[in-house]
Amino acid sequence: MGTGSVRISSDYSLMMNAARRKKRTVIIVLSAAVLLLALTGLFTGSSHMSLQDAFSALLNRSTPANNRIIWSIRIPRVLAAMIAGAGLSVSGLIMQTVLGNPMASPSTLGITNASVFGANLSIIISSGGFMAINPFSASLSALIFAVISVFIVLGLSRIKSFSPGVVVLCGITLGAVWTAATTILQFYATDAGLSSAVIWSFGDLGRATYTTDLFMLAAVCGCSIVFMAFSWKLNACLSGDSAAAATGVNVPLLRFISLLLSSLITAVCVSFLGIIGFVGIICPHITKKLLGQDHRYTIPVSLLTGAALLTAADVFSRIIGNGSAVPVGAITSLLGAPFFLIIIISGRSGKCLK
Amino acid sequence: MFEINNLFFRYSRNSGYVLNDVSLSLSPGETGIILGRNGAGKSTLFKNILGQQKPESGKISLNGEDLTSMSFRKRALYISYVPQDISFGALTVYDSVLMGRLGYFNIRPGQEDHTAVRNIIEELGLNELAWRNADELSGGEKQKVAVARAMVSSPELMIFDEPTGNLDLANEDLILRETARAVKDRNICVLCSVHDLNRALDFGHRFFFMKDGHVKYSGGSELFTEEILRDIFEVDVSVEHIHGRKVILGAGLNR
Repeated sequence: MGTGSVRISSDYSLMMNAARRKKRTVIIVLSAAVLLLALTGLFTGSSHMSLQDAFSALLNRSTPANNRIIWSIRIPRVLAAMIAGAGLSVSGLIMQTVLGNPMASPSTLGITNASVFGANLSIIISSGGFMAINPFSASLSALIFAVISVFIVLGLSRIKSFSPGVVVLCGITLGAVWTAATTILQFYATDAGLSSAVIWSFGDLGRATYTTDLFMLAAVCGCSIVFMAFSWKLNACLSGDSAAAATGVNVPLLRFISLLLSSLITAVCVSFLGIIGFVGIICPHITKKLLGQDHRYTIPVSLLTGAALLTAADVFSRIIGNGSAVPVGAITSLLGAPFFLIIIISGRSGKCLK
Repeated sequence: MFEINNLFFRYSRNSGYVLNDVSLSLSPGETGIILGRNGAGKSTLFKNILGQQKPESGKISLNGEDLTSMSFRKRALYISYVPQDISFGALTVYDSVLMGRLGYFNIRPGQEDHTAVRNIIEELGLNELAWRNADELSGGEKQKVAVARAMVSSPELMIFDEPTGNLDLANEDLILRETARAVKDRNICVLCSVHDLNRALDFGHRFFFMKDGHVKYSGGSELFTEEILRDIFEVDVSVEHIHGRKVILGAGLNR
């Protein structure tokens, strides 16, 4: 027994190291990809700045115009792409886990619809001249309605102790209510109000400022730290409610906190940037395809895949837009969808679509 | 000693009682088997014991400690569970077993958790499988991993929901033998729901026949009579003795 266990434990550590090495490699490669994409993002844009100019502008040594373009436009934009991409992705991952549903995404709880309603309300009312126009008011109103919506859904689901089916159905129903309310609002809007309200809902990273980036960063970082601390409990959730409860996890409480935090991330990102579809569903699946479902790894890796995807989509939207960036929300879905279908249809489906 | 006294439970105030005055008791080193038709209340009873449902009244206690008011975390130190449908969320066998220690660690497993996992993996002969994806194993291997996960927390009561439901004869034997050994070596209680009456007779010490949310008969193998079985399962069976063992035969369709 004595020598046997020594031999076995050295085998264990060998195998463990091999498994860890693979995971570390994935993390390093993805981090490098995010960095590279972010740099590409800094050097792409409508002003046709040369690479050299962009570099010196980065050090504040170019013309004042170039310095301003890099520091006030491109950097906050690239940061927003990285932060929001990471946030939407991790939020989708957590939703999928705690709802036990591979189709869950940040918009499952109707948060997106609520933000759209909030923004529409603010824009349409102000376009009628009732309220002073403030670029921040649409976002603020979007955020308020998103948070209200989250609390309604979670409050209703509490009655049935957060059973996943109930949560999803409440979310879908409430989402439909917000959409209907938006339609009514738009029906009575002026042409100018309507067009700016519709344009708001196209996800656009150009709206990002350092202030909004800071808000998003705080939400994404804070919530991700909590998710990381929960990673073993989230793993337990994968084996079903009863098994998780028997290992000592308070499943309804875990579900409540996880849904609340991931909704919060989504609410903040969507309110500041508009709808950015698909990142929250596609990135968690790419992550699971790469690494399986262990949350100790899928949480950081989904942050990275999200950041990479949205930064790449942003670069692409600026290249094809030729002067004015095509809304990035459309790009993520347009490019993401076929890619996603290929992933789902190819290979073993058991791993990510259980 | 595991005891349930006068347990009542219903899902909502205007529905009938799913558990209607359930009482049973089990001594350490004993395997108790719950028998009854589908819908007799077996799964609901397990949910109450595991804390997923709160009983309306009655007591569930383990060695004198009240379980009904215990937190999930504390309860997990005393009770473990092997579900009927086993899935591990694509974790490795090692990590799946480690999950059984969640009652002991909070954010990161410690050295003693890893030691416990290594020991149980060795004990159940899972070394070869330790780094495989647990969801890609065969039904018998999965069951073994689930048993390892249940044992790794050194519980005082293990609950099995249909442990042999999806297994072939050899795997069934293996799981039951491992369980019986654990019960004896560790002097713990096992509570188990089983549909196969002959299997139940094979490895049970005490039997609880449930009907309409109530434990109607409890006792040893002497309870397996044609009258009681007919009452509980509402079907004719015959009780025979072959090589000195009691055997339950169904009515059969081809006679």
